[in-house]
Amino acid sequence: MIELRNVTKKFGSFTAVDNISLVVPPGEFFGFLGPNGAGKTTTIKMMAGLFSPTEGEILINGFDVVKEPIKAKSYTSYVPDQPFLYDKLTGREFLYFIGGLYKMEKSAIAEKIEEVIEHFEIGDWVDKRTEDYSQGMRQRVTIAAALVHQPRVLIIDEPMIGLDPKSVKIVRETLKMMARQGVSIFMSTHSLPIAEELCDRVGFIKDGRVVFLGTQEHLQAYKQKLDGKFESVFLELTK
Amino acid sequence: MGIFFHILKYKFLSFIKSTFDRRLVTAVRGFGSLAVFGAFSIAAYLLAYAVTKSVIEQTRIGLFVYHRFISMMLFVLFVSVNMGNIIVSYSTLYKSSEVGYLFTKPVSFTQIFVLKFLDNFLYSSATFFLMVFMALLGYGAYFGYSALTFLAVMFFVLLPYLFLSACVAVLILMSLMKVASRWGFRKVMSGLAILYIAMVALFFRYSNPIELVEYGQRLNLDTSASMMGLDSGILANLPNAWVSNVLFYIARGNSALAFIHGARLFLLTAAMFGVVLYVAHRFYYKSWLVTFEFQARSNTVQSGKRMKVFDFRRTSSLRPQMEVLLKKEYFQFFRESSQWIHLALMIVLVGVFAVSVGNLNLKLRVTEIQTVGYLILYAFGGFLSCSLALRFLFPAISIEGKSFWTQLSAPLDLKKPYLIKFTIGFFIVLTLALLVAVFSNAPFVRMSERRPILMYFGVYSAFWVSLTLVSLNLGLGGYFANFKEKNPIRIASSQGATLTFLMSLVYLMTLVSIVIIPLTEYFQSLFQFLPFDISTIVAPATTLYMLSAALSAFALVVGLRSLQRDF
Repeated sequence: MIELRNVTKKFGSFTAVDNISLVVPPGEFFGFLGPNGAGKTTTIKMMAGLFSPTEGEILINGFDVVKEPIKAKSYTSYVPDQPFLYDKLTGREFLYFIGGLYKMEKSAIAEKIEEVIEHFEIGDWVDKRTEDYSQGMRQRVTIAAALVHQPRVLIIDEPMIGLDPKSVKIVRETLKMMARQGVSIFMSTHSLPIAEELCDRVGFIKDGRVVFLGTQEHLQAYKQKLDGKFESVFLELTK
Repeated sequence: MGIFFHILKYKFLSFIKSTFDRRLVTAVRGFGSLAVFGAFSIAAYLLAYAVTKSVIEQTRIGLFVYHRFISMMLFVLFVSVNMGNIIVSYSTLYKSSEVGYLFTKPVSFTQIFVLKFLDNFLYSSATFFLMVFMALLGYGAYFGYSALTFLAVMFFVLLPYLFLSACVAVLILMSLMKVASRWGFRKVMSGLAILYIAMVALFFRYSNPIELVEYGQRLNLDTSASMMGLDSGILANLPNAWVSNVLFYIARGNSALAFIHGARLFLLTAAMFGVVLYVAHRFYYKSWLVTFEFQARSNTVQSGKRMKVFDFRRTSSLRPQMEVLLKKEYFQFFRESSQWIHLALMIVLVGVFAVSVGNLNLKLRVTEIQTVGYLILYAFGGFLSCSLALRFLFPAISIEGKSFWTQLSAPLDLKKPYLIKFTIGFFIVLTLALLVAVFSNAPFVRMSERRPILMYFGVYSAFWVSLTLVSLNLGLGGYFANFKEKNPIRIASSQGATLTFLMSLVYLMTLVSIVIIPLTEYFQSLFQFLPFDISTIVAPATTLYMLSAALSAFALVVGLRSLQRDF
């Protein structure tokens, strides 16, 4: 479960995230949408432990990300919007690296790695150094790495960037399966079709504030008030 | 040429904007840099003046022999700048994304080469210029240099000398790329390393000013005029000899001869730069393509049944987090050629220095000479450790790069990766520092009929100096971390690195000032056959330990806290 309680993030005098509160229960797929610079990535980075909130609390399965970071992060997997990898490691070595960081036993890592390599179809180049990878290859390895330790919470920022249609399909199906298995998924995306298809609930953020929070039913009702298009809802809420 | 100056203009503007932005943190860092640069500049000036005065007036070895010592130091400077430039130039000329970008624009390969060559030379030599200029100022102040003489020597002698070293480095690098494409990178690098070692060993074998002093004293020669005839033919025609001859003839008031040697150097530098441009025009782009071949050949790691020692698949007795962090450090280091080659070169340099000083024959039983000699070796040993720590520990946090998100978002106590970096760095720096301490103290132990006190002090000091320099560089490297810069050499030449380097030098000079009085008393007691009161060194040793421990703790805490900043 993910819980944000009155979370604010300021950079000097600029407020990037302004008093956000929301809960993502186990098994829910939450979509986080907003225009560029709205505060999506900042919110996600606070949840992943890369930023500290200026005010408020972020709890992952009841553990505060700031006060008990190791416990909170042990449940979490984070997939950043830009998949930077250690360029001198191969994809396989990177997967082992991530598995080790989550304190997995060697045999468990080896087994899981073979699974994700097959699932994401990365076997052809997983033994090349990541410095030679394209954007899409890096993204697939990063998502694969996020699944190695079987997280209970998945925080994912723009997962479909750089992926070809086949990879998008694989990732989409994987995320759906994880949600069905009870994983809380918090995903930011610019892709409205993806959000509509995958998310149980969506939140819209604009200028650091949540301007809409609701289920697919609420979203459908809002769409009907306009011209029935999700795009119009997005533009209306973020204008 | 228009495009060339156009690009230079924007590089300059970009540099000015990034250096002088209006944020408070930048202003504080700038002020701090200025303060440390200023303090160091004054110290370098005073040291050069004091050493020159002391050597000329007290030791009475004469102008010529003194300038032979300077020639030796200039040779070491040339080789250091040269080797450093080979390593740095490889990154700047072949790994820089700016080069790849400019190749897609209507800019000639030669112009791109010149841009990056100048970029590299100026970026990596800025601190050297300052050190050399201030030392020249102090040296020249003793001999009553005019402002014009200072400027002439700096810009028409020393600057061309450093530039010549950089030109030779780049020529060697491009030759290496051509040869390595046929014979293999490792064979060629090994050959080059052997060549450098042989060159340095031969130079020190045939150029020993101490032997010259002793020979001159045996023959009761006037140490200036008569000794000039003893100068070796080949060595007298090396660029370092020309520079020291310029200084020597200026000191003797012979401007004509100084001009001749200066002109030789200037013409040689100009000719060498011309050769560099010609070779770059013919070969730079081809050599750039060669690096891709190397990369493609080396970038596939076989994951068959046979596992190498540090293979991630191999089980380990270490806990999972420690194991993967160590293995990651290992692969990130040894798969980046500029890292391990540079380390190997520095280890060789340290080894050569240690063996050279270990064979010193110290017969002059003069307190001041032995004290100065010991302090020079002590300071130089510290300087070697300082360079090592700066080059490898300062960038240690920064080279995690943007991939550091993996560790920050994992259930990992950040003390673990920090401790790993500290332990590995401390082990390497301490080992080399102890090697230098043992070899540089050995001649003094021999001279003092095997009294080990200086050896004990040397080892004790090596431990604390290594601890402090490693802590300072790792800690401040974390504070000044730049996760966007991938090149560790550029990180080690950044403003933060320069500040750290200068702080390290201030620390070393403080140690020298702590040690000077008890050391003088020791040599005095030795040469006058008086008993030496051991309590004389208790206070300095305690001060050394307290200062080192305090600095180390402060720097390590600063570094650890910096890991918790927003990423």
